[in-house]
Amino acid sequence: MKITVAALIAGLLVPTIGLESAAHHSFAAQYNSDDPVEFDGVITRVEWKNPHAHFYVDVSGPDGTVENWDMELASPNMLVRNGWKRDLLKQGDRIHVTGSRANDGTNTAATALITLPDGNQLTFISNPNADR
Amino acid sequence: MKKHRQFLYAIGIAALAILVAATPIEAQRGRGGRGAPQTPSAPAPRLPDGTPDFAGLWQGGGTNNGDISRALKPGEELIMLPWAEEHMTTLRSQNDPQANCLPSGVPRGAPYPWRMLQTPTHEPATHIFIVYEGNIHSYRQIFMDGRDHPDDPDPTWYGHSIGRWDGDTLVVDSVGFNDRFWFDYLGHTHTEQLHIVERYTRTDMDNMTIEVMIDDPGAYEKPFTVAGTARIQEGEILEYICNEYNIDLEHIDAPAQLP
Repeated sequence: MKITVAALIAGLLVPTIGLESAAHHSFAAQYNSDDPVEFDGVITRVEWKNPHAHFYVDVSGPDGTVENWDMELASPNMLVRNGWKRDLLKQGDRIHVTGSRANDGTNTAATALITLPDGNQLTFISNPNADR
Repeated sequence: MKKHRQFLYAIGIAALAILVAATPIEAQRGRGGRGAPQTPSAPAPRLPDGTPDFAGLWQGGGTNNGDISRALKPGEELIMLPWAEEHMTTLRSQNDPQANCLPSGVPRGAPYPWRMLQTPTHEPATHIFIVYEGNIHSYRQIFMDGRDHPDDPDPTWYGHSIGRWDGDTLVVDSVGFNDRFWFDYLGHTHTEQLHIVERYTRTDMDNMTIEVMIDDPGAYEKPFTVAGTARIQEGEILEYICNEYNIDLEHIDAPAQLP
């Protein structure tokens, strides 16, 4: 178990710009924070673009089917200010990710916490491990 | 194991909810996103001609991106005309101009820093520009050369702005706005009759107060004044091209609402 309460809360508290104000649109209009998602998967694509960076993850179900999920992050300028670098996520990386699913029920979610293979963690907007 | 993770996730979300509920949006726009305390710093700098120098990268100062009425000065009232109130109830979040990567207009803020540029030469500045990182990458132009507003300006997103000094306060008077931008996520609306007077005061090196008087007899019963605070931020403006990959809108179908 690499996810700890302390890491979760620390990761969420590092940025003082809250999730809900870090977007160019109403967060609640797109995502349901009462509908959490959590899975292990392999990154298939990273779109380091505005107004939000996205990464796409193949998630294997117990029956062997594979679903691709679109995971949203803050904008690259905000990510960089909060310690991210473009290459922190790479195609082929196996990650554990949590988030809030889109209200429309598609395989789309706002990222809450990413756990990398080395145990480092990233949030929607922040790299808590960055030396800043 | 999975239940335990779900429990931890729930705790994390709860912590975020508490944080968000307890922290005003304007306060969340702290220095460099690191929440520095708002203590007085060195005195505000001045240009060689003696006018206040607004140089620096600023964060915040918008008048509450979520709901402009939350930024009202004490004693002020925001009273919409019936048609405007009715109009607001019909708005959809996916049609928010800001969500569509269109300009935020005035005085709506965005969660991105901005820079104020004065242009003094051998004479005081003839122009002041506000350079926005977002939303969108754009600028406002404030004429400081004593000109008046044109008689019948073509409506634009940022209007026609003329500035003057009132002591150490920059007073910006703007008209000629279009009616397309929203004041906030809720969609507080306005008409082309909108007249805005902003008062920018750099109270010390790190802080700026911004008061905004909004007068629009086409949409509001009477003028009202809102206020925000901007803080100096470390770093530079970064590139933010909002319409590069705006795939969010296809997933949004909801009433205009708070963040």
